[in-house]
Amino acid sequence: MTEPVKDLVVQAELVSKTFGTLRALDRVSFQVVAGEWIAIMGPSGSGKTTLINILGGLDRPTSGRAIVDGVDVGTLGERELTRYRADKVGFVFQQFHLVPYLSAVENVMLAQYFHSVADEAEAVRALQRVGLGDRLVHLPSQLSGGEQQRVALARALINHPKLILADEPTGNLDQANEDLVLDLLRDLHSAGHTILLVTHSLAIGRLADRRIELAHGRLAQIIFNVDENHKAVQEHS
Amino acid sequence: MFLRIVKDSFARQARRKLLTAVALALGTAVATATLSVALDVGDRLGREFRSLGANLLVTPQADTLPLDIGGVDYRPVDAGAYLQDADLGKLKTIFWRNNIIGFAPFLDVPVALRPANTSAAAPPGVAAPPAASSLSPITSPSGGTPAGRATLIGTWYNHAVQVPNGGGIFRTGLSATDPWWHVEGSWFADDAAECVVGASLARRAGIAIGQTLQVNAGGLTLPLRVTGIVTTGGQEDDAVVAPLEIAQRLSDHPGQYRRLLVSALTKPEDAFSQHDPSAMTPADYDRWYCSPYISSISRQMQEQFPAVEVRPIRQIAEGEGRILTRVSALMWLVTLAALLAAAVAVAATAGTTVLERKSEIGLMKALGASRLLIGAFFLGEQWLLALLGGAAGYAAGIGLAHLLGQQVFGVSPQWRPILLPVVLGMAAAVATLGSLVPLRGMVQLDPAPVLRGE
Ligand SMILES: Nc1ncnc2c1ncn2[C@@H]1O[C@H](COP(=O)(O)OP(=O)(O)O)[C@@H](O)[C@H]1O
Ligand SMILES: [Mg+2]
Repeated sequence: MTEPVKDLVVQAELVSKTFGTLRALDRVSFQVVAGEWIAIMGPSGSGKTTLINILGGLDRPTSGRAIVDGVDVGTLGERELTRYRADKVGFVFQQFHLVPYLSAVENVMLAQYFHSVADEAEAVRALQRVGLGDRLVHLPSQLSGGEQQRVALARALINHPKLILADEPTGNLDQANEDLVLDLLRDLHSAGHTILLVTHSLAIGRLADRRIELAHGRLAQIIFNVDENHKAVQEHS
Repeated sequence: MFLRIVKDSFARQARRKLLTAVALALGTAVATATLSVALDVGDRLGREFRSLGANLLVTPQADTLPLDIGGVDYRPVDAGAYLQDADLGKLKTIFWRNNIIGFAPFLDVPVALRPANTSAAAPPGVAAPPAASSLSPITSPSGGTPAGRATLIGTWYNHAVQVPNGGGIFRTGLSATDPWWHVEGSWFADDAAECVVGASLARRAGIAIGQTLQVNAGGLTLPLRVTGIVTTGGQEDDAVVAPLEIAQRLSDHPGQYRRLLVSALTKPEDAFSQHDPSAMTPADYDRWYCSPYISSISRQMQEQFPAVEVRPIRQIAEGEGRILTRVSALMWLVTLAALLAAAVAVAATAGTTVLERKSEIGLMKALGASRLLIGAFFLGEQWLLALLGGAAGYAAGIGLAHLLGQQVFGVSPQWRPILLPVVLGMAAAVATLGSLVPLRGMVQLDPAPVLRGE
């Protein structure tokens, strides 16, 4: 068994997840170092969301271990899992998932509140950083898709999570907004954040340090974008 | 932040929330009304039923069998034992003295009556000296027709009784034991030569208010001014009711009486009160002694008056207990049913609410909200609704209670502010009860499928 290594943020060890007879994930293993930006790619139904959910503590692996920041997520009890979600990860979803009756700033404060205490001034600064300083009291229904996703990004970052999990965050955005969100992700990456980003788009995948490709729940290959010419490829059965 | 979220969320789904609040308001309105009445019902009904008569009869222990025909004592005045009216204040010194709401001593004297000569009006005012009239013939040669024989019932209407050991003055008499007796005109004054005449007797003998009757017993004739005509539906309708002192003088038994009716607020008889006190354990005996059962109050009265016999007037006492218990039980049942119905209505709307909120609940869980917090958000809103609905229900219920009180008992129940927090608490409990099942689903919701959009 691999012991937790200090700057390893993610260690997936033979992670499998079955829904009934369906193998959504099949013995997936990989590691992510602190500060890395990983793109998770693969066709629809290949298990990308399932993988993200397991790492984010929303699902439990059927077998194998998913260790995030030294914590074996699958072994956590309900209470610890709640703490884990609030402390360690920041989620960004394709459908934005903002609370419809809360304003932009309140949506950010909500994550603060679940983590510790709501701090409106800090929430405002987080929204200003994503360019929404003039949209603080708007409800999600009064914001464009791109603006909503930037609120979600501010929310994901507000508690300084170890790991940012973004599941097709630009899937519902037009090109302009996609660029805005990607710019923000790039900034986060250069600021040293560890990012797991699910995407269909090879263009986006290429922005990452590595691309993990899934097919039918299996890890098909891991591609290092930095020296893609060398095709440093890990084949995986 | 918690309140901010609850407040923001509260404005949503206004129609469904209105429905929940209305359900809670209706339930608490009924609960408030029935509780107001039920809390009053013990006292109120106690008094209502008391008007069927006193519930305790006190007689001398050594008394001979009464020659009682149609409720009138036909024994010769010399037969049987008597009790001293000077001792009556002691009744207000027993353990349950505050439950003794009134008593009236009685002394019946067979008398001969005739209307006084209108021209020879009796001396007004108090007790004419016996010598002046004692020699008057039974039938006046100049006066009207003799009315014949009747019973003079001597009692108190509103008499001041000195309670021993500094207990002050207690006013009692028929006004306390039998307040429903209907008198046309007015009652006699306890210290005057006055009387009221039973309606049947008055009709038969043509006696009218304002007249003076010559009342004769033994060798004594007293003039009594008629102040009123009394209708009771009982023996009094054929009798003359006069101050006890008059009867005592006519029968030559000063300071004495023959039977005492006591009206006491009592606890309805129950299984425990049926036990034989002499066979009880000391602890049970204490409990029995310190409960205002008719039997324990009787026992305490006997401790004060060793020579008396205290008999509960059973039929009334038991009927009273049964009715009281049933009415109270009915009230509680109605309250429970109303609250349950409200809980069902709350559950129905809460179920829909949870279905609608699945995605935000899943999201909050993904963001690290604890189960406790998820539940608290929802219950916070439900309790806010309970507060609003409960307050509205309380207001409506007070109105309903007045209506109900007026219609059923003829009196509005007392306004009890203490009911407001009780009712709000009930509304919150009902809202919680109605939310339990949806709440469970909410707390146990698995976030992953919801966030996938399933
Ligand atoms: N809760 C679930 N129950 C049953 N099957 C599921 C469930 N969640 C996901 N799946 C199935 O698991 C497979 C992988 O799904 P997913 O991880 O969402 O794929 P991706 O995100 O790559 O499109 C799919 O075939 C999907 O239908
Ligand atoms: Mg997916």
